[in-house]
Amino acid sequence: MSRNLATGLVVALVALVVMSFTFFTVDQREDAIVLQLGEIVSVKTRPGLKAKIPLIQNVVFVDRRVRTLDTPDSDLIITSEKINMLVDSFVKWRVADAKQYYVSVRADEKAAEARLLQLVRDGLRAEFNKRTVDDVVSGQREQVMESLRKNIDREARAIGVEIVDVRLKRVDYSEKVADSVFEQMRQERVRVANERRATGAADKEKIQADADKQQEIIIAEAYRDAQRTKGEGDAKAAAIYAQAYSTNPEFYAFYRSLDAYKESFKTRQDVLVLDPNSEFFKYFKNPGRGGK
Amino acid sequence: MAWNDPDWGKKSNGPPDLDEIWRKFNDKLNRMFGGKGTPPPSLGGADKPAFNGGVLLVGLIVVIWLGSGFYIVNARERGVVLRFGKFAELTMPGPRWHMPFPIESVENVDVEGNRITEIGYRQSVQNKQPHEATMLTGDKSIVNVSFAVQYRVADPQKFLFKNYIGDDQAFVRQVAESAMREVVGKTNVDTVLYESTQVADKAGKLIQQMLDRYESGIILQNVTISQVQPPEQVQAAFDDANRADQDRKRQQSEGEAYANNVIPKAKGTAARLLQEAEGHKQSVIARAEGDAARFRQIVAEYNKAPGVTRDRLYLDAMQQIFSNTTKLLVDQKGGNNLLYLPLDKLMQQSAAEAAAPARPAVTEPARSPDQVQMRDLLRNREGRP
Repeated sequence: MSRNLATGLVVALVALVVMSFTFFTVDQREDAIVLQLGEIVSVKTRPGLKAKIPLIQNVVFVDRRVRTLDTPDSDLIITSEKINMLVDSFVKWRVADAKQYYVSVRADEKAAEARLLQLVRDGLRAEFNKRTVDDVVSGQREQVMESLRKNIDREARAIGVEIVDVRLKRVDYSEKVADSVFEQMRQERVRVANERRATGAADKEKIQADADKQQEIIIAEAYRDAQRTKGEGDAKAAAIYAQAYSTNPEFYAFYRSLDAYKESFKTRQDVLVLDPNSEFFKYFKNPGRGGK
Repeated sequence: MAWNDPDWGKKSNGPPDLDEIWRKFNDKLNRMFGGKGTPPPSLGGADKPAFNGGVLLVGLIVVIWLGSGFYIVNARERGVVLRFGKFAELTMPGPRWHMPFPIESVENVDVEGNRITEIGYRQSVQNKQPHEATMLTGDKSIVNVSFAVQYRVADPQKFLFKNYIGDDQAFVRQVAESAMREVVGKTNVDTVLYESTQVADKAGKLIQQMLDRYESGIILQNVTISQVQPPEQVQAAFDDANRADQDRKRQQSEGEAYANNVIPKAKGTAARLLQEAEGHKQSVIARAEGDAARFRQIVAEYNKAPGVTRDRLYLDAMQQIFSNTTKLLVDQKGGNNLLYLPLDKLMQQSAAEAAAPARPAVTEPARSPDQVQMRDLLRNREGRP
């Protein structure tokens, strides 16, 4: 009994070992290259449980996911106006053809990336050399990236790699150029500042002048209306006087004169030098004899 | 132990190494046999205890093997189950079981937690990463833009299978930096500095586009601009330009303050003028009416007895005048033309109380215009040496 069990165990163990050398799983994320004595027999691109001949066949797995290649440093690249730009980019790539990938770079990611890096650098240089700073920074940024992608993709197919995307990250002036940019920015700001202050002063002056103008107009118009009103009053008064006084103009002259005399001489400061021959003093020197 | 290891059959990236597992398994087996105190140098001499132990052992191994299929999906996670490396199902939170290794494996992905990555700084704005933040604008100026991106995993399948993500923060950071630089590169410096939300919106759209293109399964929540600054080298000039803007506004408001002071005052003055005029009008008319009424009454009486009334009025008036004024009676016929009158003395005397300058007056009482001529008198005085 125990012998049978032991034998069973051994058989099971051997079976497991054989199975483990025979079956392999291909992950969703991978392609599997089956090699027979170093020669590619097949490429398994669908995930699942696969079989191979143990011992003489072995499997190389290739990650099929999109990977990112980030250039380690910024490259110094010259534009068409001979300005040095610091350029940083990254590349999204994935293995499109596992067989080709294995044949050309031994499915070695490092080797593939080294090759891609070279392609990216050359591509960047080519694209920048024929464009101005304006183009690469804003105007034709997308075109640069798309054209890079196409060109690098064409080359990369040779190593079984597909370029999903090439993106420019940094596109900056080199330090030397940056200084002159700062100077230019500074001057631009100084210009803006001066302009703002000048407009401020001008606006203030304008607003104040306008206020002064309005003030003048308001007062002048009020004066006009006031004078008109006064005139109306004066006219009305004159009419009333005329109407009343015209009933007896001679008496009015006399009466009004008396009023005027009274108004004119009413304080001690008013000095009158009189001639006793005046009408008032008719009786002063001569008491008369009754009747004139 | 090794069978219950959480690494085991769960979170393995890529296929587990079969050889390694076999080695471990065999080690374990040997140690178990050894631990029982019945070392099997050869299987031929095995007896009952070995048999019982063997059955037990096999049973135990099977139980442990099946048990290794249990796993827990946390509340914010989804479990992605792979059968022989192929996607089989997506499991919801809770305790779950999958067929044990090597048939199935599971990977848990956090799909609800908001993840965040910073560009231009780390953790705090002080901890700057200048090489990420420094950007060229469309008008070829340089600005420093620091921002943060919030995102979450929306599609765990794509997230796991489409991209080699590794560090998802770095993955998103790269995309975000590139997108932001593209947007800033097409925007002029003033917009970037003073309307940064607009820039953030555009960058957000671009980031999402890129994430979708890579089928990353990541959804962008928002883009927050943490800091936008001109470079230190030109900071002072920018500050001054901002101050100039404030100066301008201040000057404008000064002008307005002046206007707001002057115009209402002018309106007040205008209103005063109009009211005064109206007052003048009313008062002049009222006086006229009063005077007219009075005159009418007197004239009525005068008409009844003109002579007497006239004399009475005249004498009343004269009396009133002479009783209040300073008088000098001069009979010219008796004197000569060079009559000296100490008028100034008289003035001083009478002006004792009033500060106003006294004014000499000439009158021609009644109807005798040729009698006394003050002007002649004064002229004579002036003519003296």
